[in-house]
Amino acid sequence: MTPVPGSHLTPDDLDAWLAGALAPAAQEHLAYCPACQERAETEREIVTLLGTLPLLGPAPGFADRVMARVEVPETAAVHPLHSFRRHIFASRRTAALAAGVLVLLIGSMAGSVAWTLVHQETLAAVGHWLALQAGQAAWLGVRGVASNVIEQPWFAALKDLAAHPGRLVLAMTLAMLAYLGGILALRRLLALPTQQVAHASV
Amino acid sequence: MADLPEWARLSDQEVVLLARAGREAAYRELIRRYERPIFALVFRMVRDRELAEDLSQETFIKALNAIGSYRPEFKFSSWIFKIANNAAIDHLRRRELDTLSLDGSPHAETPEAMQATALQIGARQESPLEAVEARELGGAIEVAIAQLRPEYRSCILLRHVEGRAYEEIAEILDLPLGTVKTYIHRARNELRQLLAHLKEE
Repeated sequence: MTPVPGSHLTPDDLDAWLAGALAPAAQEHLAYCPACQERAETEREIVTLLGTLPLLGPAPGFADRVMARVEVPETAAVHPLHSFRRHIFASRRTAALAAGVLVLLIGSMAGSVAWTLVHQETLAAVGHWLALQAGQAAWLGVRGVASNVIEQPWFAALKDLAAHPGRLVLAMTLAMLAYLGGILALRRLLALPTQQVAHASV
Repeated sequence: MADLPEWARLSDQEVVLLARAGREAAYRELIRRYERPIFALVFRMVRDRELAEDLSQETFIKALNAIGSYRPEFKFSSWIFKIANNAAIDHLRRRELDTLSLDGSPHAETPEAMQATALQIGARQESPLEAVEARELGGAIEVAIAQLRPEYRSCILLRHVEGRAYEEIAEILDLPLGTVKTYIHRARNELRQLLAHLKEE
């Protein structure tokens, strides 16, 4: 009688066999072991039987019965407006308060428009002065930054690099590659896990 | 119905996001996707159509009313199966408490009712009528499944009827992966023995 190679199939081996992924060593054992063959066939029969169980479904109208007891939230855009309106018109006092605020707002807006129309020259003079000050401040800022950059130790090297287009292109390529590498690394870090798992019950 | 193909293209997570945005059609789509698997699981757990209908309904109501607390990075199927399984197991535990009480059901109001429930010790097996119904439904395998322990039943149904991965079953049932594998292997062993026994009958 030929000795059967290897040990009997474990439950994990049987799972692998059912999935068609049994390891070669276990496969070899299975080919020679009548006990394991019988066991594997029975497992297959049971799994096949379970797979052919009839599809069951609830009685018609199930979705309607569920939906009758589910609270669907109002859409995000509509919800705040609705609740705001409901809040305002909840009592006479809140309605009067809202009306007062509205009158104050409209009054102040109308007042500012009227003042602007009457004092156009003053407004133009103020605008001119503001533009002048802003321009001076911007120019001072640019000069400050430029003198600061010139004093930096790396400025000479940068100037030298700009004088040789080949080196400049090489440096830009390297910087671009580093930037792309950074973006790819960031994307991988921020990607959601693909293996999804269940979580807490309600 | 006109926008059915559009729904079919969306993943569960996307449908959930639409539901959270207040689209009723998204809620209905989630029900359409899961009403059959959830009902089938619950029915095979509790072996009572009316009760299964109620428990499935409760499952969906609970899940859909709490859709705001669902985290889309996780599987919706695992979440809803977990709620359904918990509902079925809770019911079975309550029923077991009732049937095992020597003094009768705590819900019984009359002495007759108490006596009737007290006499149900060991009545966890299906009645002959239920067994006949099960045979008609799916043959000996349905009868055999009904005789498994509830934990084994959940595992075997989720694995071989619903086709869920071991890892997902572990998440649904809150069990370690090794325990799920052991339960499934034991359940298959028990089914093998039960089927052999039923064939002999």
